[in-house]
Amino acid sequence: MKNPFEEFRSHTTRSKGKELPLDRILKAKEETLNQILKGYENLLKNEAKDLVWLMQYSTVIKAYSIAEEAIKGINYAAEDIEEFCYVLDKTDQVPYLITGPAGVYISALCNNAQEEEIVLRLQDVGIKINLLGYRLPEGKRLIIEGNVGDFTGISLEGGELIIEGSAKNYTGAGMKKGRIIVKQNVGFNTGHGMTGGEILVGGRIKGLGKVVGGKIYEKGQLVFPSDDYRPFYF
Amino acid sequence: MFEECLKKVWPKVRRNHLFPQIPPPQLVESDEEVALEIKSKQMTINVNFLQLLSEKMSPEDALQALLDHGISHYMYCPWDFNTHLMLYSEAKKVLRDKRLAQKAASYFMDVVANTYCVKERETKIPELYRHLPKEGVQRVLALLYQVIWGIDLGVQGEEENIKRLSRIPYLEKRLWKESVKKFAKTIEEFLQKEMESEQKSHKKVQNPLGEHSLENYTLEEIDKGLREFASSVDDITEFRETVEDLKDELAAMGYTVGGMGRGAGNPIDADLLYYMKLAENYTLPVKKLPMEKSGALHPYSHSPWEIGKPVQDIDPWTSFGKIMPGLTQTWVRREGEVFGEMEKIPDCLIIIDSSGSMTNPRERLSYAVLGAACACNAYLKNGKKVAVYNFSDAFRGNKLILDFCKEKEPVYWAICRYFGGGTAIDLNDINYLLKQAEKPDIFIITDMQITNLEKLIDFFNSIENRVTAVHIGENIYAARFREGLKKKNNVSLFLVKDKEDIPKIVLGKVREYFASPF
Repeated sequence: MKNPFEEFRSHTTRSKGKELPLDRILKAKEETLNQILKGYENLLKNEAKDLVWLMQYSTVIKAYSIAEEAIKGINYAAEDIEEFCYVLDKTDQVPYLITGPAGVYISALCNNAQEEEIVLRLQDVGIKINLLGYRLPEGKRLIIEGNVGDFTGISLEGGELIIEGSAKNYTGAGMKKGRIIVKQNVGFNTGHGMTGGEILVGGRIKGLGKVVGGKIYEKGQLVFPSDDYRPFYF
Repeated sequence: MFEECLKKVWPKVRRNHLFPQIPPPQLVESDEEVALEIKSKQMTINVNFLQLLSEKMSPEDALQALLDHGISHYMYCPWDFNTHLMLYSEAKKVLRDKRLAQKAASYFMDVVANTYCVKERETKIPELYRHLPKEGVQRVLALLYQVIWGIDLGVQGEEENIKRLSRIPYLEKRLWKESVKKFAKTIEEFLQKEMESEQKSHKKVQNPLGEHSLENYTLEEIDKGLREFASSVDDITEFRETVEDLKDELAAMGYTVGGMGRGAGNPIDADLLYYMKLAENYTLPVKKLPMEKSGALHPYSHSPWEIGKPVQDIDPWTSFGKIMPGLTQTWVRREGEVFGEMEKIPDCLIIIDSSGSMTNPRERLSYAVLGAACACNAYLKNGKKVAVYNFSDAFRGNKLILDFCKEKEPVYWAICRYFGGGTAIDLNDINYLLKQAEKPDIFIITDMQITNLEKLIDFFNSIENRVTAVHIGENIYAARFREGLKKKNNVSLFLVKDKEDIPKIVLGKVREYFASPF
């Protein structure tokens, strides 16, 4: 007897359809993301064993060197960094939510990316990641759409960091050169220990730290150095 | 010419898509720059546009591509009105503008439907895109198709944006919520430009493959979509915002809060609609009263007659007119069952607490309102009347009394009213309402933090009506209420801590029935 569904055989055998370039792009994206996540897990294993990460100058330096080591050999693009930020936000794995090492790791990714300009669209990311833009080198431009956490752009090394939203405390702390532009507000201790470079704040600065050098502007007005704020000598 | 062509192409296209249940497409002559329109599953193809296309590609191929595109919307994305609303709502979250969000959702649906078709079916869609106008957003989409389909459509540029767009998993349905947001954000500047050009020219920029609007759906599909959307949104605000945006279109379609149908209705109250649609996802059973023995015997079945058995029960018809043991059949009688006096479901009085300790239903999802809405639906569906007593501090006038009626809208309006403030119930009002119907059921939903709770307990102890009491959250007042009425069989108490507890409510449940053999 003739199979009445014979003419539909082609439909049943072609269950997954044609392979499109889209499939390859998505597969490559997933592989890269897995590599990035593996590197991050490695950093957490070393730096946040007890789910506690103490924000100290030495711990940041150590975490950064581990992060740089972890991302060696990964071929990633700026979009992969953004994707990683969303994974951090969405994940329910507890250690992932430690925003300190996350910020250091993202900074390492940005500083070592092939692109000179990186745009991270983080408006929909619920968590405010700390330490973004850490040690951003000269020639790099990092644009972050959304709000960021504490210690943004610390130890900036000549790069340009643009925050489309607001930043919290210790923005630009210890920066040596370069420029930080925050379109909205910043928190306390802004520019604490900075020795050079510029911080331009479009909105309000809650408070300045002990600033050594450089320039800080609030709504276009120079607030440091000024009569009210003179350089601090440690 | 195109008529013949369509007759030839349509069966092929249907077969290619495994025979979707949609009516045959129609050809129309229109001056609009749109090739395809879909209204309530009916696809119409613009002959004038087709004429232009057929100068560049064969009319058969053009028709096939247009139909493939239309059917893919029906078969894959958006598939239903709920998905359409979800995509719009997510796009609105990032773009914060109704028109921009509509455009973004519409283009996203096009990309998904086209890519699905290109991947899963034999289609001429890429060929069609080669010949469609490529300006503004259409150019961006053509650039995207070049990358994700791997074909040359003869356009260049926008590498950065296309890189972002090409990383979106368009065919992953479970990720559409996130995907549409990324898509919308990436094409935002192009959408803005399109809007500006519309404002300058006072002419709407047409999507050549048709707009996606409410007109694509039937009223039944819209109703079902709203029901699903109400249960899928995170909170009432999201539902309200989306429905408020589409209010005019819904009204133009003839969709009103009271239900479907054409003609002027009351303006849509999105909050009411939310509870209405959400409540439709739950079905609360209304307990019917048990059967009673009638006392009368009736012939039930046959058994062979034997000597000694009464002769008056012999059935002469099945006994062939003979009286002989073994051959003669006699009737076996059984007692009949009938419904009792109150076999009908009675009307219902809904008492709802809207004091300060209760959630404001227009700010957040109120389990009290949802529970009351489900109860109201259950009685109205059985053709019964519902009255509402909504109170906070009733003695200060913070109360709303709605007499027994069969209309859904006034009932919902009454249960959604929020007073805030203290909690005291005026039993005179309850007595008044109880007199308006024949022994109605009572459904009371409150957190039990009622100032005159003792009086309420005494009152319920004195009446014989079936009472379904629902308390929101556990507290000492609820415990006191339970204790005070534990001997009453006509009062059943349910606890609602979460939305999921609502379907567990059984209306008019009376403990005595458990003892009954039925």
